[in-house]
Amino acid sequence: MSSPHPLRWLLAFGLLTLGLLGLGLRVGSYEVSYAFIFDTLAHYHPADPAQLALVELRLPRLLLAWLAGASLALSGYLLQTLVNNPLADPYLLGTASGASLGAIVAYLLVPGLVVAGLYLPPLAALAGGLGATVLVVAIGTRQGRVRPAVLLLGGVAVGALAAAAGSLITFLKADQDSLRTVVFWAFGSFERASWAGLGWPAAVLVGSLGLLFCLQKDLNLLLLGEERAQALGLAVVRLRWVLLAVAVALTSGVVALCGPIGFVGLVVPHLTRGLLGAAGRLNLVACAALGGAFLLAADLLARLLYPPAGLPIGLVTALLGVPFFVSLLRKKF
Amino acid sequence: MRLSPFLLIGCVLLGACQAHDQPAAAPATVQVRDDLGRSVTLPAYPRRLVSLAPSMTEMLYAVADTSTIIARTQADDYPAAVLRKPVVNSYPLDIERLVTLHPDAVFTVEGLTPPDAAERLRQLGIPVYYQKYRRVGDVLRGLITLGRLLGRDAQARRLTDSLQRQLHALATCPAPGARPTVLALAAADPMYAYGQNTLFTDEIWLAGGQNALRDSLPQPYPALTREYVLKLNPEVIIGGRFGKLDSTLFRQNPELRRLRAYQKRRVYATTPNLLQRPSPRVVEAVQELRALLAR
Repeated sequence: MSSPHPLRWLLAFGLLTLGLLGLGLRVGSYEVSYAFIFDTLAHYHPADPAQLALVELRLPRLLLAWLAGASLALSGYLLQTLVNNPLADPYLLGTASGASLGAIVAYLLVPGLVVAGLYLPPLAALAGGLGATVLVVAIGTRQGRVRPAVLLLGGVAVGALAAAAGSLITFLKADQDSLRTVVFWAFGSFERASWAGLGWPAAVLVGSLGLLFCLQKDLNLLLLGEERAQALGLAVVRLRWVLLAVAVALTSGVVALCGPIGFVGLVVPHLTRGLLGAAGRLNLVACAALGGAFLLAADLLARLLYPPAGLPIGLVTALLGVPFFVSLLRKKF
Repeated sequence: MRLSPFLLIGCVLLGACQAHDQPAAAPATVQVRDDLGRSVTLPAYPRRLVSLAPSMTEMLYAVADTSTIIARTQADDYPAAVLRKPVVNSYPLDIERLVTLHPDAVFTVEGLTPPDAAERLRQLGIPVYYQKYRRVGDVLRGLITLGRLLGRDAQARRLTDSLQRQLHALATCPAPGARPTVLALAAADPMYAYGQNTLFTDEIWLAGGQNALRDSLPQPYPALTREYVLKLNPEVIIGGRFGKLDSTLFRQNPELRRLRAYQKRRVYATTPNLLQRPSPRVVEAVQELRALLAR
């Protein structure tokens, strides 16, 4: 029996996303019907708190969840291709641990959390994530060439160092309340979503997809291994740098906004390849679409299971993702 | 060896004094049940006390002979005299340091000392007594219990009578509709608030308000979404000065500027460690809340 055409999968992921968006818009502290949702979208009155909650809080939250899922899944796909290792995920470059360290520094060491009128935690998370990534890339490259194995080990080492530094600061400085804040941040959350915060991850995702669509064939060649890819005329060094830059851009913004959300970037690329084949033409778009739908589903489940704030999203992605992942592994290997 | 008659008389007198403080008939140990329902064997009159929670330290300072409190935790800061005591780390618990201090009994509160640490201490011959407080009345009852366990009933009774009188002097019964709804934030990013099953609910009621968080959520300090807070629409928010929260919480979440508390600038900070610490200062906390509500 032949597997469905990739376009059908893409259509299915799109419909799944629409369904989840529809369901997600109904779940929250204000009970709303579909008629109310349509009415709000057609004639928005911000003076009505239920309409305000729907448009200013729920919709950006759902869109951020989708963007985060799509970005992390795509980033995971790229890094698995880059290092040619199925264990790679978006946090391979130490981004999550670095961002967590940045957030911990802001929450525990900066009284008032505001410097020069800027709210520090997301900026510190971005700086921490990028800082750790730059360090890992410096370790994993020599004479302009990316060395995947060293990059992988460097990521583990820098990640462990950042995690230890964060734990040390937490141990020395955290009281009961700030400890809660730091722990909550580490689980990941979409609660900080706002329309203003969606522009950057959306632009990075669209730009990355556009760029990668042009490089799809090169990516498939890279999967054959460095030597064979080079023999077939691929500029491996340049491609690796491009992949690295795109993966960093995709991951760092999401981590700064949502905290480190695990498993989606590991599981979804494998799921995509399992469904569409290892080197499908639409793999990248499908991976992003599936990642988005995956985090939308996880967020919906989190809010349904444990209102009002929902279960930590990182727990739900693990609970949802791992059984899928294990069943996929058993079929594949 | 020959004993001097003066020394002999001195020993007899000293023995008589000790017999007066601790009757000869008194048992060496007593078996009691603590607030967690655990059976604890305590010395009849423990003379070397350690508290493993800042709130319990305040409780002991109010009831015990303060010279019998032999250590403090790293988090203790009240009363100021406690800062002169040697430090025992309470989290993670420095069991070795605790054992070297040879306490007769350790007192703590629910949630701040892991039960397995208490069991380990019991095996080392150090009994651990837990208290827990849900209402202001539980704090007063806790003081009475400590007084009984430490042989300081009169001191505890005097204190609780005084606290009770101060509470009566505050007593007001506004109609439920006239009580402003107060959201007490434990943290602003993410938002965590004092839930129904915390001491704050009783404190704010005695102060003439009501906890805005009326849903019975399983956690004592539940995390809240902006949408949930928008729906609660509290009249007063406690958790930081208006200026501070305006540059953090309300700046990050501008939609919360629609809240009644923000519109009327009824956003206040309280004395650090007063609200969240069940202690003899609980009446002071109620008085402070009442003053904030009157603004």
